[in-house]
Amino acid sequence: MDSWKDNKLAFGVLLGPPTFWLVVFFTLPLAIVWVYSFGERGPQGQTILALSLANYERAVEWIHLGIIWKSVWIAAVTTALCVIMGFPLAMGIAFAPRRWRNPLLLIVILPFWTNLLIRTYAWIAVLRTRGYINFTLEWFHDKLDRLFTLVGLPEIMGTFSPLELLYNQTAVIIGLVYIHLPFMMLPIYASMEKLDRSYLEASLDLGAGQWRTLFSVTVPLVMPGIASGLLMTYILSLGTFLTPNLLGGTDSMMIGNLIAQEFGPSRDWAFGSALSFLLLYATFIILWARATFARRGAASELGI
Amino acid sequence: MNMFKGAGSSRRNFLAGTGAAAVALGFGGRSASASGELNVYNWDTYIGETTLATFTEATGVKVQYDLFANNEELFAKLKAGNPGYDIIFPSDYMVETMIAIDMLVAIDHSKIPNMKHIDPDPNFSDPSFNPGLKFGVPFMWGTQGVGYRISKVDGVPDSWGDILASDKYAGRIALLEDVRAMIGFSLKYLGFPMNSVDPDEIAQARDLLIKNKKNFKTFAPDSGQDLLLSGEVDLAVEWNGDIVQVMEEDDDLAYVVPKEGGMVWMDNMCIPKGAPNPGNAHAFLDHVLDPVVNAEIANTIHYPTANLSARKLVLPEDLANPAIYPPPETLARCEQIVDVGDAARLYDEAWTAIKAA
Amino acid sequence: MVASPVKDRPTPTEYGRKRWMQVVLLVNFVFLYFPIVALIAFSFNDSKRNIVWKGFTLKYYEKAFNNVSLHESFINSMIVASISTVMSTILGSMIGLALYRYRFPAKPAFEGWSSLPIVIPEICMGVAMLAFFYTVEIPLGLFTITVSHIAFTIPFVAVVIRARMAGFDKSLEEASRDLGAGQWQTFWNITFPYMVPGIVAGALLAFTLSLDDFVITFFTSGPGSTTFPIKIYSMVRFSVTPEVNAASTVLIVVTLALTATALAIQSRASKG
Repeated sequence: MDSWKDNKLAFGVLLGPPTFWLVVFFTLPLAIVWVYSFGERGPQGQTILALSLANYERAVEWIHLGIIWKSVWIAAVTTALCVIMGFPLAMGIAFAPRRWRNPLLLIVILPFWTNLLIRTYAWIAVLRTRGYINFTLEWFHDKLDRLFTLVGLPEIMGTFSPLELLYNQTAVIIGLVYIHLPFMMLPIYASMEKLDRSYLEASLDLGAGQWRTLFSVTVPLVMPGIASGLLMTYILSLGTFLTPNLLGGTDSMMIGNLIAQEFGPSRDWAFGSALSFLLLYATFIILWARATFARRGAASELGI
Repeated sequence: MNMFKGAGSSRRNFLAGTGAAAVALGFGGRSASASGELNVYNWDTYIGETTLATFTEATGVKVQYDLFANNEELFAKLKAGNPGYDIIFPSDYMVETMIAIDMLVAIDHSKIPNMKHIDPDPNFSDPSFNPGLKFGVPFMWGTQGVGYRISKVDGVPDSWGDILASDKYAGRIALLEDVRAMIGFSLKYLGFPMNSVDPDEIAQARDLLIKNKKNFKTFAPDSGQDLLLSGEVDLAVEWNGDIVQVMEEDDDLAYVVPKEGGMVWMDNMCIPKGAPNPGNAHAFLDHVLDPVVNAEIANTIHYPTANLSARKLVLPEDLANPAIYPPPETLARCEQIVDVGDAARLYDEAWTAIKAA
Repeated sequence: MVASPVKDRPTPTEYGRKRWMQVVLLVNFVFLYFPIVALIAFSFNDSKRNIVWKGFTLKYYEKAFNNVSLHESFINSMIVASISTVMSTILGSMIGLALYRYRFPAKPAFEGWSSLPIVIPEICMGVAMLAFFYTVEIPLGLFTITVSHIAFTIPFVAVVIRARMAGFDKSLEEASRDLGAGQWQTFWNITFPYMVPGIVAGALLAFTLSLDDFVITFFTSGPGSTTFPIKIYSMVRFSVTPEVNAASTVLIVVTLALTATALAIQSRASKG
């Protein structure tokens, strides 16, 4: 690697324009939002510049803490489900015969390449009261009902009441898991693929069962991948907007939706800015925590 | 290596060429929005099937048609500076608000000869929120109430209590994503005026909605009638015409204005300040006020029209339908939303609290 | 002690061949594909409300193809994606190359800062761009969308370039210089050709990101500058018919075609 002093001209030319773009069209907007977060809302919704912490105070009012807590909780459940589903998936592909791996990977990634909006919208037809899941359940109910009637127990099944799977937190979580599964699976897969199988084989040879091997050998070795996956999934789920907007109901407002509401119909940009920055700070904290653990983890990894 | 060199330079040229072409296409076109275009911002399911096409045929003007879900969304979009709309469709109180802060252009009546077809009743031709029709012309009017599925409800759900304050239909109700309407109905149920500016009354209305929030499936952004039709909910707070539109497709649906009172409203066509095509905007207003065009709209969307001459061409079954043209006793218990000035902030904050709870 | 391997039974670590794992994989694939396949299937449904299957028809595709505002939003998406891809690939490659090649003070901080657009929640960036354009009084439209897209895709391109350059053999550059080639010559003849597959991969990534973007575009678009995802959102929000499914299917096909192209180019490059 060269020092920048070796060729100041080339360095300046290469770094200058992109830095300029990112400063003006990324950092500056964020700075403006930061300034707004200390402002006040005028009577018709204009933002009046001020130096007030009122917005931040309002953000941690009980009612808004509820939304923050809801977002933290939904993101946590999503991440947990993603890792439970994604880990075996990653294992299955990483340990598949070599020539199957890329095709399998492709098959998993393909839905990921379709538009977020479309993927979320697709679930509406599946989860709604007259949706595919309920149709299937109704079909089974019907068949069982007929069976029981034949056997002489006509009333035992009762009438079919469809599952309420849409416009609530359940729908939001299902949607979020669906969208973020690849974000969890890919880093775990990347780690697993590089795994030296001989460790696993040694563990099994030495008499440890599959589960013991899994938890004592495999998981620690792929921990960087798992950590990456957990992190990305959590951050992305925390700040999600579209999924609760389309799939959520009256009980599923998340931080992203509140921010959108304040920048939209409620016209309180100052408050929305404060919320926006709280979300940013949360993201940074998570990233910083990860970096800290990574440094410690890297040190112990070097020992292997 | 050589293969890449050749491929690299031709790719570079290609990218450069695309970039130049794209810049020319993209940015060049933007400024030439003068004649020949019209940007309309309207509610959903609120225009006829041929309205825009016949306008383009008659004038050669191309119409860009965007949708919004409620007055607050419209206001928020325009408050930050008119992004380029020529025609907007605010409701009565929103017209008042916009006039107060100088967001509308005074329309030139001489350019709109079809204004003579507007119903001469002062409610339409000289309303309090837009005296002398200086800043816009009336479009459609109507009521807001409850659409419901007959087979799934007990009798007729004619009280807001069943909907806003009871577990009877828990999880089967869709409210409307409309701050003034929902808080207004809650106020009326509690016996307060729909346009209360008393913080205490608004707080009570808010708390009622928060307490029963678990019974509402969703706050539908103007799509309550679709949820009703698909069976997702059995009761939906909605505008009368939207419910009639789905009643056409399903006999099991009906509409009622609850006994504590509903809302009566009037929508208007206005030209916001900063409209890039005011000439075309006036032509569009004239076009929509034409009785034939207006009647076609009314027969498609099933709302009562403010256009007297058009009413002669409205389908007889619509004219006779109490859900569309309400009888005097229904109207008597409906209130109109008015601009409450600074107190609007109380409503906004209450609404945020309800959504967040 | 060792599990004695029967001839065609999978070895203990060949998880991919075990029954339970295959079931797991199957369940996951069904989960991943069912909604999309159902969405595509029901785009052919002859029913306006699109709840039950009522028969096969192509008329909603016809409607989608004849839908002028859908066309325009597609063209808008293409314009925005093309311009932003060109700019962002150039700027992203520059920054990627600089980060690969040079040491400089506060480099880790700079790296963190320049990767921020990747990690920050999209809604934060969306509202920030809205606030920015409002403050400097630039009207919202294709320009503002494009500018925002460039900003958020630069770091992605940079990451791809850096990953590509990590495998670069510097000794080739040194050899070229030793043989008398000047700095620019070395760059264009040795370094740049190696970068090209990375640049192409980065460009395709930037293009897809821009084409698919919803949240940031939602906050920076005005009338007449609706992009394809925004238009679909408006169709999803109001009056859902199979036309939405048809338009969505078209977008899926376009995106997949681009992805396939990307993969083909990448595999060709890695062989070359």
